Amino acid sequence: MSITAKLLRVMKLTALLLTVFAVHVTAGTTEAQTISLSGKNIPLKEVFSAVKKQTGYYVVYNTKEVEATQPVNVNAKDEPLAQFLSLVLKDRGLEYTIKKNTILISKEQKKITGSLTPELTPGLPPPPPTVHGRITNEKGEAVAGVSISIKGGKTIGVTNDNGEFTLTNVADNAVLVFSAINTETLEIKLNGRSELAFSLKTKTSVLDEVQMIAYGSTSKRLQTGNVSTVKGEDIAKQPVSNPLLALEGRVPGLFITQSTGLPGSGVTVRIQGQNSISKGNDPLYVIDGVPYASQMLPTISNILGGSGGAVIGGVGSGGGNPLSFINPEDIESIDVLKDADATAIYGSRAANGAILITTKKGQSGLSLVSASVQEGWGKVANKMDLLNTQQYLRVRFEGKKNDNASVLSTDYDINGTWDSTKNTDWQKVLLGGTAKYTNMQASVSGGNNVTKYFVGFGYHKETTVFPGDLSDQKGSVHLNLSNISQNQKFRFDLSADYQSDYNQIILTDLTQSALLLAPDAPALYNPDGTINWAMTPSGTSTVSTWNNPLSYLNQKYRNKTVNLVTNSNLSYQITKNVEFKSGFGYTNLESNELAQNPLIVVAPDKRTSTSRYSIFGNGSVNSWIIEPQILIKQNIGHGKLDVLIGGTLQQTSKNQQTLYALGYSSDGILEDIRSATSIIVTTTLNSTYNYSAIFGRLNYNYRDKYILNVNVRSDGSSRFGADNLFHRFGSFGGAWIFSKEKFSQSHLKFLSFGKVRASYGTTGNDQIGDYQFLSLYTTPSVAAPYQGATGLQPTGLTNPYLQWEETRKIQAGIDVGFFSDRIIFGLNYYLNRSSNQLLAYAVPITTGFSSITTNLPATIQNQGWELSLNSINIKSKNFSWSANLNLTIPTNKLVDFPNLESSALASSYSIGEPITLRKLFHFVGVDPATGVYQFTDSRGNLTSTPNSSTDRTVLINTAPSMYGGIGNSFRYKEFQLDILFQFVKQEGLNYFFGNKPGQFFGTSNIGNQPAYILSHWQNPGDIVAIQRYSSTYPGNLGTAFSNAQQTSDVSWSDASYLRLKNLSLSWQLPVEWQKKIKIQDCRFFLQAQNLFTVTNFKGLDPENQSVNSLPPLRVVTVGIKMTL
Amino acid sequence: MKKYSSKRKCEHRTYKQALLIWICILMGVSCKKQIEVQAPPTSVNASNVYATDATAAAVLTSIYTNLSSKDRALNFGGLPSISLFAGLSADELTLFNPANQSTTSYQPYYTNSLTNLNSPSFDFWYQIYPIIFVTNSAIEGLSNSTTLTPLVKNQLIGEARFIRAFCFFYLVNLYGDVPLVLTSDWKANTNVSREAKAKVWQQIIDDLKSSQDLLSGGYVESDAITNKIGTERVRPNKFAASALLARAYLYSGDYLHAGEQATTLINNTSIYSLNNLANAFKPNNSEVIWNLQPVGTGTNANTGEGAMFVLTSAGPNTSNYPVYLSPYLMNAFENNDQRKVNWTGNVNVGSAIYSFANKYKMGAGNTTSTEYSIVLRLSEQYLIRAEAFAQQGNISGSQADLNIIRARAGLPNTLSNDKASLLSSILHERQVELFTEWGHRWLDLKRTGQVDAVMSVVTPQKGGLWNTNWQWFPIILTELQKDPNLLQNSGY
Repeated sequence: MSITAKLLRVMKLTALLLTVFAVHVTAGTTEAQTISLSGKNIPLKEVFSAVKKQTGYYVVYNTKEVEATQPVNVNAKDEPLAQFLSLVLKDRGLEYTIKKNTILISKEQKKITGSLTPELTPGLPPPPPTVHGRITNEKGEAVAGVSISIKGGKTIGVTNDNGEFTLTNVADNAVLVFSAINTETLEIKLNGRSELAFSLKTKTSVLDEVQMIAYGSTSKRLQTGNVSTVKGEDIAKQPVSNPLLALEGRVPGLFITQSTGLPGSGVTVRIQGQNSISKGNDPLYVIDGVPYASQMLPTISNILGGSGGAVIGGVGSGGGNPLSFINPEDIESIDVLKDADATAIYGSRAANGAILITTKKGQSGLSLVSASVQEGWGKVANKMDLLNTQQYLRVRFEGKKNDNASVLSTDYDINGTWDSTKNTDWQKVLLGGTAKYTNMQASVSGGNNVTKYFVGFGYHKETTVFPGDLSDQKGSVHLNLSNISQNQKFRFDLSADYQSDYNQIILTDLTQSALLLAPDAPALYNPDGTINWAMTPSGTSTVSTWNNPLSYLNQKYRNKTVNLVTNSNLSYQITKNVEFKSGFGYTNLESNELAQNPLIVVAPDKRTSTSRYSIFGNGSVNSWIIEPQILIKQNIGHGKLDVLIGGTLQQTSKNQQTLYALGYSSDGILEDIRSATSIIVTTTLNSTYNYSAIFGRLNYNYRDKYILNVNVRSDGSSRFGADNLFHRFGSFGGAWIFSKEKFSQSHLKFLSFGKVRASYGTTGNDQIGDYQFLSLYTTPSVAAPYQGATGLQPTGLTNPYLQWEETRKIQAGIDVGFFSDRIIFGLNYYLNRSSNQLLAYAVPITTGFSSITTNLPATIQNQGWELSLNSINIKSKNFSWSANLNLTIPTNKLVDFPNLESSALASSYSIGEPITLRKLFHFVGVDPATGVYQFTDSRGNLTSTPNSSTDRTVLINTAPSMYGGIGNSFRYKEFQLDILFQFVKQEGLNYFFGNKPGQFFGTSNIGNQPAYILSHWQNPGDIVAIQRYSSTYPGNLGTAFSNAQQTSDVSWSDASYLRLKNLSLSWQLPVEWQKKIKIQDCRFFLQAQNLFTVTNFKGLDPENQSVNSLPPLRVVTVGIKMTL
Repeated sequence: MKKYSSKRKCEHRTYKQALLIWICILMGVSCKKQIEVQAPPTSVNASNVYATDATAAAVLTSIYTNLSSKDRALNFGGLPSISLFAGLSADELTLFNPANQSTTSYQPYYTNSLTNLNSPSFDFWYQIYPIIFVTNSAIEGLSNSTTLTPLVKNQLIGEARFIRAFCFFYLVNLYGDVPLVLTSDWKANTNVSREAKAKVWQQIIDDLKSSQDLLSGGYVESDAITNKIGTERVRPNKFAASALLARAYLYSGDYLHAGEQATTLINNTSIYSLNNLANAFKPNNSEVIWNLQPVGTGTNANTGEGAMFVLTSAGPNTSNYPVYLSPYLMNAFENNDQRKVNWTGNVNVGSAIYSFANKYKMGAGNTTSTEYSIVLRLSEQYLIRAEAFAQQGNISGSQADLNIIRARAGLPNTLSNDKASLLSSILHERQVELFTEWGHRWLDLKRTGQVDAVMSVVTPQKGGLWNTNWQWFPIILTELQKDPNLLQNSGY
């Protein structure tokens, strides 16, 4: 039988560029390729060369076979290619296949046809013929989920995981339509065949790439919600150890902040702004279907910086970020779900959006072994301009003179104790090192029709820019296994992700010392190599004159964390239309911390009055989840109805103990808790969170033109009081692909795709902490219990009516594609209103406590525009260039807050203003007469002592007012270059005023100042920015300084920046070379992160805006990746 | 055809079965029990804490634990810090270098210039009401409990009512009219207003009378039932209630009952007797009615009074040793008063001599626990009865009681022989007997109406300006803002 596939339209985009064909199925249109040929007894060979001439298609055939055939008689004028070929090959025992621009002629493969049996009794229908087949893609991989329908009729089958299908009751002459989310649609005329094998072309439009959604997947084309996808290959281009950092600047509506430049840094993630005033604002993280922690348990050291977690029920969140323990290399894709349509099915957990992480899975086919090695270097990119010794001494002496103060015996910097000719650049000494970056990855994957596997291994090591031997090392294993039964009905998937992290860093960030140490401070080491404490000349009491920052290196801190995320899915296809499925997931994040404070950390003179101690912390967060689901697919009319009904059972437990051990006899044994004479349990945490839900989704797709999506969820959560255990959430969304409409196809021809979509729904925020409704009694922590017995005391006021915070989201968007989707533009508007805010409502102390957690009808509105643009500018065989842009313009506003004026939050918030607001004094410079900072009070008068509760007249929003990214990808032959710029427009706290110029505390390492402070007041009449120097800051001078430095509109200034976030350059070994050395792929690459930043910010870095934490580093790596 | 339909039926059945199983699972999912969680084992819940003797007793233990740990951090605020702050407000303590104090909390108390912006941690109102909340919760929970051993239940309710009275005693003395918060219901306690002092006194007396009935006569262990008369006097007993009741009657002018209550203690010689001066502040000595066991170890193993008041050879400083005894107190000691020898000390720094309270000998450097902080002791009961007798015209009775105290201090009998002079002698005796103990001096000056006369002289010397309004501490602004029914004391 011959394949009689009909190519209805084959469109060639451009002759100059790499030839790309987009195959569209549109009934009734004429074929692009036609043949005109007439003549008698023409040998097939000649017919084929005519075809090649007229169409440009290559015709490949076996000469022997073709020569053996009879010549043909033809009379064709503008005959469509397929028809023409069918005609000429008819009865010649040959069939044809068209692949790209090649026509393959092969021997017709006769199969036993379920041919008609004419003996059958008339009146009875013939037994239905059965059709088998297998569908593959260009790479020869099976394509699952292809739906097969009779043209103009209903769906009659779907391919299984091996791409196979079986159809019954199909008419001999039926035209079958094969379509799937990510392939071009193909029509094939059956022509009585019972066996089909052909390949479907993968769709090249980005609109057809798979997007993961809650409990399923779809494509951008058919998506009704607001979902953005970042692919694993883009994550792999960035030398980051936390996958979240790879999302910076890539996703509209997603704002990410890195806390420090240390490995394992905290990362704050906000989707479409801040919804909750005082509770958690983290998105829901779901890794392969399993919910994952968004915050670390409280840590002993917060040097890694927080991840924007709220302090809830007295339990804060620790330093670092849980996603640091997921190897970015194991990730296939990250999907960011933003609107109610995409998230309402997650109910009470998804008010802040959801981030779905899908890990890599095996593909059937050859076993692939892949390995990569990457080596890199990280540096602090920006140094601050600080005073040198000469300038510093001038400032100090002037401060003394202004105070009429004498040089004290403790003024080591100016009284001759320190060598005032010394000038040390402490930033260079303490932050000037190079962080080493090593990354090694290996994976093996493969499989067959039944079983597929993927195993990945990773090793990652990062050191710091600080002096000393500090590092973070990670080892990870990722496993994915999938299996399908022979009858294709039972399916099993298992994925496991394990990482072990050993973080050996420091307890005290040296950034602060680097900025504050006086430039004439002593040398770090004595000539004999020991730590220099710069003791005062011996006498009755010889004391150390500074706190040598290197001593912090002896304050050893380590954190060992192991993380396991496993998930398995079982599914059974009960009938053609009904599938039963169940997911089982387990996660366990365990950390083990040790902080040592040996005596050698403190100066020798303080050792007699200090006791050495160590702190041990052990914590774990583990959770399990079971999610049974039923999926029903049904054709209704000309549309497809997908129904999902499911349930969730989840339990999360948190456990932690912190032990404070002291009474050690030596510094060397601090790691051994048995050597301590006294052990105090400082914190214990033990909490359980139970959650269960029923959910459902109904998706109706009418001819890929009108799509309606409805989600409902009923949630029960143990975080709420007995009177409010359950709550319902829901959403509805719709999309109209108007480019499928006739008017669009006839009048808007420049549009290759056009869709409008809108959704409305509710989601909840349950990040309010466990047991908030209980009046808990805890044991006061004391060293010698009263009467030897433990006490029990209430921890707060009871509120059994606690509820979810609820967020209502309205979302509308338009997606359009031009020039065959080479340009795709998306615009999205969102309006999210969060109410029922759980707030610590201030109550008088006569109630026993200063506040009670309660739901208040305060409403916060997040509104914004998200814009995205993807374009393929040039695409040719040797060179291609594509670009993408995303832009978000968010606004946030407190819409309503009953009795705000009388609440304790009155000084922080204003109705109609963002909740990320700061109320600041208006700074008017230095009083020329007195040399003291001046501000305007509420009446506009000048004052140096403004009233904190009435005179804060300037309002500044600290949240970004605009952010986004611009990416460009270039490929030239084997070279690939990707560049991503990130931009943020925002206001932040700067370091313009320094740290009380003229003041000095030797043993606290406080002294130096930024160079901004040099233009200062000296004499009456001076009009300058900085007030007069002082060594003691008495009275107004001190308060004026604090007001200016922390709460004035000059200290909060522009912190916008444009950053070359990522640059990735790779060179692939030419294919011929690769073939020669028999490897599949080999590439060399160079990657850089945070390469440069353009900003007016007055400080170290506009992203973390800190003078105490290391800024994000500039990292450059080189590496090689090979696949065998 | 037939084959076909049977297959379909079969499929249908599987489908139905699966659906049934699945619905069952969903029913499980939506079950309320599935969601509810047990209280974490690191904590006990309000609804079960009063169910067993041990956990119920632990609630009261936590009150003593917190009082004791606040006592150790005398300069960090809390109810026991009244020994420091009320001493500063009166004419008892001198603040070292007031202009340059590293913490600004002492200075307003010292110069009688408190404002409504006082820090909550140094504010007694803010520190005392949370204790009252615990006692209220305990009284409610204990009363409703049906599973406790009756003796334990009585003892614990008695302790809770005693502590509540103890708290209100200081509130009414420091602030005047105060809200009478007698329930744990936060809604009811949110908009409370101040009640007249008399009503507060009545509540104090009611609570104490009730706890007298409920409490055991001996001292119980932490299980609230094992009775160990006279050993560890760290939980209040029946006589502690009597002692405080005697004081409450005296303060509220019920001299008859004040004398009666004091007598029950004075006559109970099997448990209580005056000790010699050197041993009067030893833990659990025969003079102690109630003392607090320190809950710290190492440098925190002894009392906060010792740690703060006992100066080292370096003398006072602005951080750890900010106060010393005022010249008014030192000059008040009569010649030969052995209390001056036994209970005060001196340190010479250059030409300056600083006197300090030395009732507790264990300073900050002592790491072995040998002293407890004494809250109630017998000698006060003699002075209460002396005053009550004097007020009732029983001159000889009054003299006798006063002389017992004087004799112990190595002083001759009092020369006062009429009511007025006796009252004045008793006030003086209280000054030198009870100095730096729980704010006695400040409270005595106020209740005897001497405060204006004394402070108008002393305050200016301390660097402030006296106004009679300053005898009542202010309510801090945030509390006034949160409770519109709350009115400020006049002058603030």
